[in-house]
Amino acid sequence: MTSQLGSAAVLLALMTCAIGAPLGFFAGASRSAAGLQWTRRMSLAFALFMILANLIMEYALITRDFSVSYVASVGSLATPLHITIVSLWSSLEGSILFWGLVLGLFTASVTLLQRRGHEDYLAYTLGTLFVIGLFFSFLIAGPANPFRPTPAPIPTDGPGPNPLLQNHILMIIHPPMLYLGYVGMSVPFAMAVAALLRGQLGASWLRPLRNWLLVPTSFLTLGIMLGGWWSYEVLGWGGYWAWDPVENASFLPWLTAIAALHSAVVQQRRGTLKAWTVILVMVTFLLTILGTFLTRSGVVNSVHSFTQSPIGPLFLAFLGFCLVATIILLSWRIDTLVSEPSEDAVVAREGAFLLNNLLLVTFTFTVLVGTIFPIIAEAVRGVKVSVGEPYFNRMAVPICLGLLALIGIGPALPWGRADKRALQRALVWPLPAAIVGVILALLAGARSWSVLLTAFLAGYALWVTLDQALRPARLRAKKGESAGQAIVQTFARAPRRTGAYLVHLGVIITFVAIAISSSYKENLEATMAPGQSASVAGYDLTFTQLNVERQPHLTAEKATIQIVHKGKDKGTLEPRFNHYPTQREPIGTPAVRTTLTHDLYLTVMNVGADGRIGLRAIVTPAVVWVWLGVLIMVAGTVVCLIPPKSAPTPKTARTAEATT
Amino acid sequence: MNRKVLIVGALIVTPLLIFLALSFGKDPRAIDSPLVGKPAPDFALQGLDGEMVRLADLRGRPVVINFWATWCQPCIAEHPVLRAGAKQYEGSVEFLGVIYQDEPENIQAFIDRRGAWGPSLVDEAGTVAIAYGVYGAPETFFIDRNGVIERKVTGALHPNELASLLNGMLSSG
Repeated sequence: MTSQLGSAAVLLALMTCAIGAPLGFFAGASRSAAGLQWTRRMSLAFALFMILANLIMEYALITRDFSVSYVASVGSLATPLHITIVSLWSSLEGSILFWGLVLGLFTASVTLLQRRGHEDYLAYTLGTLFVIGLFFSFLIAGPANPFRPTPAPIPTDGPGPNPLLQNHILMIIHPPMLYLGYVGMSVPFAMAVAALLRGQLGASWLRPLRNWLLVPTSFLTLGIMLGGWWSYEVLGWGGYWAWDPVENASFLPWLTAIAALHSAVVQQRRGTLKAWTVILVMVTFLLTILGTFLTRSGVVNSVHSFTQSPIGPLFLAFLGFCLVATIILLSWRIDTLVSEPSEDAVVAREGAFLLNNLLLVTFTFTVLVGTIFPIIAEAVRGVKVSVGEPYFNRMAVPICLGLLALIGIGPALPWGRADKRALQRALVWPLPAAIVGVILALLAGARSWSVLLTAFLAGYALWVTLDQALRPARLRAKKGESAGQAIVQTFARAPRRTGAYLVHLGVIITFVAIAISSSYKENLEATMAPGQSASVAGYDLTFTQLNVERQPHLTAEKATIQIVHKGKDKGTLEPRFNHYPTQREPIGTPAVRTTLTHDLYLTVMNVGADGRIGLRAIVTPAVVWVWLGVLIMVAGTVVCLIPPKSAPTPKTARTAEATT
Repeated sequence: MNRKVLIVGALIVTPLLIFLALSFGKDPRAIDSPLVGKPAPDFALQGLDGEMVRLADLRGRPVVINFWATWCQPCIAEHPVLRAGAKQYEGSVEFLGVIYQDEPENIQAFIDRRGAWGPSLVDEAGTVAIAYGVYGAPETFFIDRNGVIERKVTGALHPNELASLLNGMLSSG
């Protein structure tokens, strides 16, 4: 019964898309108000049926209805409720159903939030979203149908979701954040398609486009960070980023989205780069589909990917369709998006923006090539190769240093043509801060050129960022406002400006933390019998006891380690050695002690028959600042979305709707 | 029509799509077994029910040998697939499970709860797993009517994969 209900909801969603897509394009082309009205209604219906389908699946999961094939494959009587709820996205079919839900919600939000104005763009936008929705509803209704009835006899219990999903709270929030980011990129894409079809991209459409790009970008930022954090806390190799194909797949659209946000600023200021912004927005969406294809089809090897999925060829067909449609659309309509004539040449700040875009696109291309190179190599030479971390790191470090330099130089430069003297002054002024950065790094013991260069650029960028962010407040204070009031007013009048500098601040912190944490690890590997001690980086670690814990499908050996840091007792940590069902080899679950300056990371590498353990201890400085920096970035993007407080006119209400 | 955009776009997109399409069907994890195309190593093992099974006695029908364990999550995930397969091909294909590094009691308890799809053979010393070059669970070997290994699948079986392999083996000769 549940199976049929669920399938019915999905079929209805499929139908609304099948009707909504042509309707939207027709309403856009004919500028029919009634057509748009019906397109809007279809979008709400689409969301409603997707919500319904997902609720039905949740109901089946919670009631352990093993007659539904998806429940039979991921449910189990022993799984706790909260894990049962999130097992909606623990496996392929469920995650695509969840994808449908997110797409439905985004489509309905466009309808609900863009209530006034932009009628002619909106019909095309919804039409495009329906085309995407059509593909996903088709996947859910057909080849990846999670509601398929289980063949008889219906089992009385199931295997439960992947245990890696069960062992950390981050795994509950990381996938939905990533989905919100991935799926959300459909909206700016659809809006860009609308701009091309209309042959116009004015400031009034650019504003909502940018906001709809910011929303998924902040989700994606958070999702990527949570993924890194999870792998750090759970996987036990002591790192947070491995250039795994799936990590890359989420990183690629993030890079182009950031590039698009920057080129949109230039467009808004100068009326140039229109076509370029549109291309970047479209590429961002295409990269999310490419990434999903890579990770869902089993063509690349990764810890995340699903093997031999039947939806792979369909995804490739959809990717092909999107790519071809985008190229045809771009070559057909791009000349309509003429830049407004600009009176002076590209100089100063525009130049910095262009360089930023160049670096981000190069970065995207580098990571893309590294990710799909194994596929190309196999197709051309028939050999299996893997592109490892060294390639990515070698390419990423100079690009990131370049970006860090631009965060410093760019905002210091004036818009438009500037006289030489003013330029020099603007660029020399922050140099003392850069030198202070280097001195601090030297005092902290840094000697490697890359860390010193990072410190130099970070000092410079930090100064410029703070100086620029607080400049309007300083002007206000000069006019007699109190310091607090001046800052509040600056923030309220120009949240986007403040938010942007907050993001930059987060990027600087993250870059510095990555540079420090990847350069100054201290490692200890020791074989210890109970009672024995070892020391690393000011820590004395004593192995006190080993306990064996048996759980269904899992045996954990838990080592208790007494921690003393610089003579002070810091309690115990309990790294575990799990004989994990999904893994062929047992893996360690690390235990981490996080402080503001460094992390102590303990993993059990092996357990001997005599009760001795192989312990690995890593002391990494500044790791927590990687997460904090990214959180500041996310906070910054949220601030950017706050509508500016201006003179109280009805316009405020409209922007509030448009930006939420 | 902007030709530049069209040409550049086509130059990027066409090879990308071709390479992605070519990569299909190639499992990036597949490590070709040198045994494929060779006669399957014979064995005689006792099932949990006490009955002896000799591979050579099953000649004339395709045989599916699945190495599995209860500690292995993909094995648990593919259990219903094998169960459905064994039911569907009952009488035409033999399904054998070989216990891989697990205790017979665990297997028995698991089968009591979830049902069996074929005999669970006890490979106490692991000699059969070694003979087949098994390096992890689950691994599934498809052996044709003449006792030749047709295919090896690493990791959990997909229902479509099982059906297409078996249909292929049944239709050919």
